[in-house]
Amino acid sequence: MEPARKSRLEEIGIDVDSVLDRFMGNEGILTRFLKKFLDDANYEKLKDAVEKGDAEAALTASHTLKGVSGNLSMNRLYELTTRQVQLFREGKEAEARGMMDEITETYQGLIQGIKEILGD
Amino acid sequence: MMNDTELYFTQNTILIVDDDEINRGILDNLFSAFYEVEEAENGEIGLSMIQENQEKYCAVLLDVVMPVMDGLEVLRRLKARGLLEKIPVFLITAEASDSTMKEAYRLGVMDVISKPVIPYIVIRRINSVVELFRARKRLGNVVEQQQSKLLAQAEKIISLNQGMIESLSTAIEFRSGESGEHVRRIREITEYILKHTEFGEGLNEEQIRQIGLGAIMHDVGKIAIPDAILNKPGRLTAEEFEVMKTHTLQGAALLEKIPQLREQEAYIYAYDIARHHHERFDGRGYPDGLKGEEITPWAQVVSIADVYDALSCKRVYKDAFSRETVVEMIRDGQCGTFNPRLLDCFFSVEEQLYQLYEKKEK
Repeated sequence: MEPARKSRLEEIGIDVDSVLDRFMGNEGILTRFLKKFLDDANYEKLKDAVEKGDAEAALTASHTLKGVSGNLSMNRLYELTTRQVQLFREGKEAEARGMMDEITETYQGLIQGIKEILGD
Repeated sequence: MMNDTELYFTQNTILIVDDDEINRGILDNLFSAFYEVEEAENGEIGLSMIQENQEKYCAVLLDVVMPVMDGLEVLRRLKARGLLEKIPVFLITAEASDSTMKEAYRLGVMDVISKPVIPYIVIRRINSVVELFRARKRLGNVVEQQQSKLLAQAEKIISLNQGMIESLSTAIEFRSGESGEHVRRIREITEYILKHTEFGEGLNEEQIRQIGLGAIMHDVGKIAIPDAILNKPGRLTAEEFEVMKTHTLQGAALLEKIPQLREQEAYIYAYDIARHHHERFDGRGYPDGLKGEEITPWAQVVSIADVYDALSCKRVYKDAFSRETVVEMIRDGQCGTFNPRLLDCFFSVEEQLYQLYEKKEK
């Protein structure tokens, strides 16, 4: 991968070596899935569920988002959702809801960054 | 039976069941180098794909948390249908609680692999299990093939044995001008009466087969009777008849001297039949003068079969009698006294026995 692009992806929180490894070094597929991430509905689902106070739906969405971010080596988002899933599981809903600002910020940063990098 | 190549091609598809497209895509990309890959977006769709084509899949990669039907429920249904023994199923999960893992292993999941997946680990683990299942199936096929080969060989040996017994008995009957037909008919008549009348009650099919084999050898003792007596046209003198009668004891003694035969299950029948097929129900037969039920049912049946066949065919000392005469002679006791119960059974199937002769003449 072009070094400039790699360092920009790393700046927004994607571990490029690890994710490329997962895609068997195929950069095209990485690009395709980063684009797909832009359309991934799980963050919206999570936000809706938290607003409605539906803990079960929130857990499901957070769990899926955790899987996706993990697979795309978005380490920060992965850590946050991992912790949130844990909190939902333990029944600590208030604390889990309290993480939403951090999660939103990280998520928006990724979306913004990916749009810019892929748009170039 | 499938050979290896067919097995490889029919069972070379991996099914990925995950509600997230990116997760499916990652696994798809990893495995498409080794297998055909199919995807399902929830448990229900995945389950119906597996059920529609069980033979197709060599592994199933299953997410746990999914809408409509979750991974554990898919596992439960696959287990209920006995499919977990045929297709290895792997849970691929972002985070598995202890209870989820425990339940998954209890149900028979092959392995639990955590997300995000590490490519070389997931490929290694899944490939080796798929290879294991293939090897097991190949081995199973080989064992099956060998078993049927062994069975075929055993059958060949049995029929060879039988063939040798038949040839030997026929060779002996030839001396007294009998054809191989006599030996075969005695056997058929004996087996027919035992199979189709109450006289064979309590005997299973295998025992009847062995009795039939024993019936073939009923006259082997005739090998010890001089030609002059055996082939004498006309009546035997009292002295000659005494010699002739010894063919029963000679036959039994001959069979007793063949160790290979003694090991056969048919031996006890063969010995008894050779020795006692000239006993009479009223106790006036030979060599032992057995009476009534002292004579085994099989010796009794062979005895009536022998008489029936002798009367129905031409012999050195007589012409063949008509069917009516034969039946009459047996009924009137002109050729020995038989168990009344045996006579009833015999007459109840005489029509079918007669067909044996009709068929041969055609």
